[in-house]
Amino acid sequence: MDERDLIARVRAGDGAAERALYDAHVDRVYRHAYRLTGDDDLARDFTQETFVRAFDRLASFRGEAALGTWIRAIATSVVLNGLRKVKRFRQRETDLEAADGVAGGRRSAEPDLKQRLAEAVESLPARYRMVFVMHDVEGYTHDEIGAALGVETGTSKARLSRARAKLRVALADFAQEWTT
Amino acid sequence: MMDEMDDRFAERLRAVARDYHQPPATPREEIWARIVAERLRRRAARHLLTTPRWVAWGVGLAAVLALGVGIGRWTARDGSAPLPALDAVANPAAPALAYQVAATQHFSRAEALLTDFRRDARDPGFAVTARNLLTQTRLILDSPAADDPRLRTLLEELELVLAQIAQLDARDAAELDLVARGLEHRGVLPRLRTAIPAGPPTSTQGAL
Repeated sequence: MDERDLIARVRAGDGAAERALYDAHVDRVYRHAYRLTGDDDLARDFTQETFVRAFDRLASFRGEAALGTWIRAIATSVVLNGLRKVKRFRQRETDLEAADGVAGGRRSAEPDLKQRLAEAVESLPARYRMVFVMHDVEGYTHDEIGAALGVETGTSKARLSRARAKLRVALADFAQEWTT
Repeated sequence: MMDEMDDRFAERLRAVARDYHQPPATPREEIWARIVAERLRRRAARHLLTTPRWVAWGVGLAAVLALGVGIGRWTARDGSAPLPALDAVANPAAPALAYQVAATQHFSRAEALLTDFRRDARDPGFAVTARNLLTQTRLILDSPAADDPRLRTLLEELELVLAQIAQLDARDAAELDLVARGLEHRGVLPRLRTAIPAGPPTSTQGAL
């Protein structure tokens, strides 16, 4: 089904279309929320809130960007605001062994490095962490990040550069080895 | 030279970062059920907010009068008991008790619905009853009866279950199964039964 038809049907109150829209975008939203929080409960909460807002505001969607971009912008806003309110994720986050269990035990990087990286990423200011995770972890382009965060592409690039510089300092012992 | 080192660092960082907060499989059905319930809850809340003020006041006054009479009758042990309406005014605990009575009666109705629903969920009439009970649940949640944290938790769980039943398509077996499993999982029915006191229907002992 064409995206425009889908949106029109959702606006007309078609429940099946709502579900189709949800199915088309929920994976990216949930993954995005999980990557940024590292917490399944928070990721579920933020995914839920993203779609509740998206359905509520779909009438105001003007189609200037792709629907996926629009939904991602809502998700990013929900996660950012949610994380400001919810502090507990920081404590829960540190248990990387538990996170490995949730993730199905995948281990392709050295455990110590993974832990150090996670701690370093967590210590980044939110605006840098968001860009780093979206770009280096999730693989979004700077254009997509700019649209989601409502900033210029250049700002996204600058924030990524700052994030990497801070990570380089935090991971100095590894960085030395990597660059030689 | 510095650029080359930066590139190497960035490349290695990206490779390691792929494992950062590796997400599990998306719990699609669970999140969808929550979205549906939350939208219904907000819709019901909006509906309450847009109810004309005189209607809300009218309903409130009628409820207070009815509860006042009810409490008076309930507390009248003998002929020397004070007049029902005066008792409600003179006894500062009476309003709280009135809300408890209302909550208990509400739980009884919800328990009856959920028991029937669990027996045979395909009756489309359940949705209508659930919608009515959902509105009442919101009213009680906004009342002093919900000051008790245990009662509030139960009301919120009940709200979620009722919201799911209210929007249920009785022909959709998968959806029915999902709601039935949610009902069992949350253990709402046994908790409702615990909250409803045994004995005469007007008693509130043990309600909380």
